[in-house]
Amino acid sequence: MEFLKVNHLKVYYPIRSGFFRRVVGHVKAVDDISFQLNRGETYGLVGESGCGKTTTGRTLIGLIKATAGEILLEGKDLAKLNRRERSYHRKDIQMIFQDPYSSLNPKKRVLDIIAEPIRNFEKLSPQEEKRKVQYLIERVGLHPDSIYKYPHEFSGGQRQRIGIARALTLHPKLIIADEPVSALDVSVQAQVLNFMKDIQTEFQLTYLFISHDLGIIRHMCDRIGIMYRGQFVEEGASQEIFNNPQHIYTKRLISAIPNVDPRKKQEQIKLRQHVEKEYKLSWQRYFNAEGKAYPLKRISDTHSVAIL
Amino acid sequence: MRANLNDSQQIAKDVSQSPSSLFILWREMIKDKLALISLVVLSCILLIVYGSALFLDQDKIVKVDLLSIYAPPSAEHWLGTDYGGRDILGQLIIGARNSFTIGLLITLLTGFIGLAIGLIAGYYGGIIDNVIMRIIDFILVLPFLMLVIVFVAIVPKYNVFTFILIMSAFLWTGKARLIRAKTLAERELDYVSASKTLGTPDWKIMIREILPNLSSIIIVNLTLNLAGNIGIESGLSYLGFGLPESTPSLGTLVSYATNPDVLQNKWWVWLPASLLILVIMLCINFIGQALKRAADARQRLG
Repeated sequence: MEFLKVNHLKVYYPIRSGFFRRVVGHVKAVDDISFQLNRGETYGLVGESGCGKTTTGRTLIGLIKATAGEILLEGKDLAKLNRRERSYHRKDIQMIFQDPYSSLNPKKRVLDIIAEPIRNFEKLSPQEEKRKVQYLIERVGLHPDSIYKYPHEFSGGQRQRIGIARALTLHPKLIIADEPVSALDVSVQAQVLNFMKDIQTEFQLTYLFISHDLGIIRHMCDRIGIMYRGQFVEEGASQEIFNNPQHIYTKRLISAIPNVDPRKKQEQIKLRQHVEKEYKLSWQRYFNAEGKAYPLKRISDTHSVAIL
Repeated sequence: MRANLNDSQQIAKDVSQSPSSLFILWREMIKDKLALISLVVLSCILLIVYGSALFLDQDKIVKVDLLSIYAPPSAEHWLGTDYGGRDILGQLIIGARNSFTIGLLITLLTGFIGLAIGLIAGYYGGIIDNVIMRIIDFILVLPFLMLVIVFVAIVPKYNVFTFILIMSAFLWTGKARLIRAKTLAERELDYVSASKTLGTPDWKIMIREILPNLSSIIIVNLTLNLAGNIGIESGLSYLGFGLPESTPSLGTLVSYATNPDVLQNKWWVWLPASLLILVIMLCINFIGQALKRAADARQRLG
């Protein structure tokens, strides 16, 4: 059985206008997407900004209400659970936020920040709680004494580690990482990403990794889904998508990855020109009259593309 | 060696107990000389006022003495007397006590109501916010002074407490608006989302997460409001709609200056009360500024 299954998820926002604020249309932030996560894998959601990838992540964790569709975690529909069951299942899904500055409460010490979920779900004595927090903070590579400091005393990378420690506190099964490194500089990005890979095996985590950076996605993910305007245009194993992209949008994204080798510069330029030409000639094959993608079509066991 | 060990233990102890907020406030006060002086002056005034008010007999002070009308300052009446021959110093002390107590109680009451309603409106947003804000708008468009005057006239048992309740019923709206606006900005930040995903109940997020981040604005607003509320009380008494004349108030004393003769020739009647209002308000404002800095780690001096 799949670990997490998302069926026909839709998140619409009404557009109101006129004197009576009638609904005249909808912003389709997430428009009918379905995918599944297997236990222990890293699934990447990629797309340009505004394509709905963050909305998808926030809907899965319950910060945004889905308009339609179901989210099945180990076979249970999260939207249909009552309050008590939902708070119980909440422990299984945690989130790492994009901005390490606003995601930590500036008025609380690190101890209180990391202990917050413990205080909500487990009754521990202050000593046990402190020991657990110190273990976690050491595990993410910070000094145990730093639990008495405030967030503003840490650097961006360290703050993001505190965020990760907080997400790990309840031993979740799924972690939604919403652009966890896009606010960090490149040297720290690698550090945090490798660390996330290390703890994945240790804590048996499943990641839903949201990013717009294809290099990071390629480094981290086993399978990826490429989103465009709230829909999937291509989905499949990471290798297949990077080596054999089928959809023109994917091709354009991949051709846009900068190449560090100056000798291949001409090659890269040619590739881009080629993709651009193909896009102009054949975009009707990939997008309908409204500019939206077609439904996904399976082309191999592990690869689906949105073409006619 | 032993000294070293003690030192490191001491340091470990210091580290494990982050400075309490009271200590931070104290440190900030000491660094800011103006605030420290204000604090000393204000505490002296309050100590004298509340202390000596215990030994003063209000009935004796407000008793009319026709033999000493408008007596200038003398050994018997340190600050002279008013048109009823009543001792100004005694009225000043009891009046300051009444005015300050009323101002403080109104501030606390409105602060509490405004905080609760503002947090709820800002945090939940949507329909709840809309309903609460429309009610506040309604209260705000009512003519405050006129309604207070009407209430003062129709309330059967009019005393200090009914006065406080009437004032609070109108003055909480500004605070609720301010706190709602700040809460609206604060709840969009990721740490609130994080708390939600960590399973923290709404009331806990409001009180434990958002409220501490609003503390600076609340403290500043409350202190400034304290000064303002003392002013409003004095102003209403000045107009004759505050406390009855049998209950001395700073405003009543100042209102004697409406008589040109008193204003020009009998300074002892109104000048002490005016100066006292000025000094108290200035002190409160300076202290408020220091508190404001203490509440925000980046602005601290100490």
